[in-house]
Amino acid sequence: MARHQGRGFATIEYPTGMNQNGDPTQAWIKLKPDGRVDVFSGTVDIGQGSKTVHTQIVADTLGVPYDWVTMDNSNTDSSAVCTGTFASRGTFIGGNAVRFAAERVRERILDIASKELEIDPGDLEIADGEVVAKGAPNRKISVADVAGAATYNYGELISGQGTALKPFAEVNDDDGSVQAEPHSAVSYAACVADVEVDDETGEVTVSRLVQVYDVGRAINPVLVEGQIEGGAMMGLGLGLLEESYPHYPSAEHRGEQFGAYLAPAIEDLPELDNVILENPSVDGPFGAKAIGEMANNAQPPAIAAAIHDAVGVWVTEYPATPERVLRAIKARAQPRREGKRVIFDEEISLRTVSANGGAGFLEV
Amino acid sequence: MELTVNGVTRAISSPPLTSLLQVLREELDVLSPKAGCQQGGCGACTVLLDGEPRRGCLVPVAAAEGHEITTVEGLGTPGDLSPIQAAFHQKYAAQCGYCTAGMLMASHALINRNGGREVQREQVIEALSGHICRCTGYVKIVDAVIAASRGDVDVEKEQGLLVAEPSEPAVEPKGAPA
Repeated sequence: MARHQGRGFATIEYPTGMNQNGDPTQAWIKLKPDGRVDVFSGTVDIGQGSKTVHTQIVADTLGVPYDWVTMDNSNTDSSAVCTGTFASRGTFIGGNAVRFAAERVRERILDIASKELEIDPGDLEIADGEVVAKGAPNRKISVADVAGAATYNYGELISGQGTALKPFAEVNDDDGSVQAEPHSAVSYAACVADVEVDDETGEVTVSRLVQVYDVGRAINPVLVEGQIEGGAMMGLGLGLLEESYPHYPSAEHRGEQFGAYLAPAIEDLPELDNVILENPSVDGPFGAKAIGEMANNAQPPAIAAAIHDAVGVWVTEYPATPERVLRAIKARAQPRREGKRVIFDEEISLRTVSANGGAGFLEV
Repeated sequence: MELTVNGVTRAISSPPLTSLLQVLREELDVLSPKAGCQQGGCGACTVLLDGEPRRGCLVPVAAAEGHEITTVEGLGTPGDLSPIQAAFHQKYAAQCGYCTAGMLMASHALINRNGGREVQREQVIEALSGHICRCTGYVKIVDAVIAASRGDVDVEKEQGLLVAEPSEPAVEPKGAPA
C-alpha cells in the first residue's frame, strides 16, 4: 500500500458558440451629442468580464477613450437579442456584434468629419477621441465636435447596429446528412496534470496543473487568467468530485443537502502554471477566439490519464472518486469477474474496440 | 430584542430562533451577507460576531444579541475601503461576487487574528476552507489576502478607481444651443 505519482495530459479543441444554427448576438450603438458612446447589447456579464471586454472592443474600434463608452446590458426588454452567456461565445460572438456596430458608427463619424474637414473619409483616422487627417496631424476635429455637428447641423443620430450570426447548416431531410461550413474560430488547449494516488484509500490528489490556452488574442489578459484559474478548479471538480448522476436529469434524486454535491474547496487548489498563447483568429474581434466554458474541458481527461500513469488502471467514469479508483485497481487483479457490471480492461477493451467497430467496453 | 450591526443598535421584531442571516437581510436590509446553501456549508453568509467569523445562517438571532455584528457594510464603502476590500479589487479576486462578502469577512478576521503580521498561504487556506467559490479558482483570492496582510495594497488608488467620475467630454460640442 503506497502513494503513487502520475502524470497525464490531454488536449482539446473548442469551437465557440453553437455552430451551424445562427446563434445570434445583436448590439446597437449610438453617439451622444458630446461624443460619448452608448452601447446596448444583450450579452450578460455573470462575472467573467464580458462587459469590460466589449467596452474595450468598442473603444478601440471607434478610437475613443475607454471611459467615454457606457455599456448598457442591464435591460432584457430594451437590449438587443443575445442567445446567451455560454459555450465560450461572449468574446467571439458578443464581441463581434459590438465590433460590427462600432465599425458602422465609425464610418458615420468619418463621413461627417469628412464634410467638416473637407477631406476624403479614406484619408482620415480616429485615435484618442480625435479624427485626424493621415499625414497632416494639424488637420483634425474631435469626435465630440463630429457628434455635435451631426446632432445640430446635419440632423443625424450617429448610430450603428451589428449582429454576429453563424451560417446555418444545410440538412438533407432524406438521409439526414449535414453540409456545414466549419467555423474558423477554434480555440486549442492542453493540460498536464500531476497527481498522487493512494492505492489503499483510492484518494486522488492533484498537485499541479500546467495549462496552455490558445485564445487568439487576450483582449483583457487578467480576465483571461481569471477564466483559466476558475476553469482549472471546475475541471478538477469534474474529474474528481462533482457527480451529476443519478441526480441528472431527474430532479427526483437530486441531493437535498448542499454537501451532497462536492465542489472543489480552497484546499484542493493545486499548483497552477498557466500559459496564454495568442494565435489570432481570422474573424474574431481583434483576433480573439474563446476562453470560458472551454477552460474546464481538458483537466478531467488529463487527470484520468495521470491516474493511469500512477496506478495502471483506467477510471472510465467521472468523477474519479476513491471508490471508483479502488474498484478499478481491484478489477485489474480480477479482470474477468462474473456479473453484469461493466469493467474496463485495457487488453480486452483494445480487442473489443476493433472487433465491435469502436464500441469500446465489454460486459463480462 | 436589540441588535448591534456595524456599530448601530436597532430594535428587531423577529422571533428569537430566526437566523441572524434572515434578520440582517429581511428585517434590517443589510444585504451583503448572501443566502447561499443556508446549511452552513458555503460560507457566503459569514459575518463577524465580536470580530470572529460566524455563519449567519446557523446563528439564532437571540444568540447574537449583545454582540457586535460586523458585515461588509461595516468594513468600508467605495470611497473609504478597508485594506482587504482594496486588495480584492486590486487583485481581481471577485468574479460573480456571490462568495465575496463571506470571503472578505473571514479574511479580515484572519488578518486581525494574526496581529498585523504577514499571513502565510497555509493560514489563508485554513481560514477560507469553509468558503466555496465557483468562479475564481481561489488563486486571486489567496493573492489578495496575503497582499492585504502585508499592507501591499494602494487603498487610495483602488478607491479612486471605484468612485472615479468619467473623464470630461473633450469640448463643448459646436452648434449646441446656447
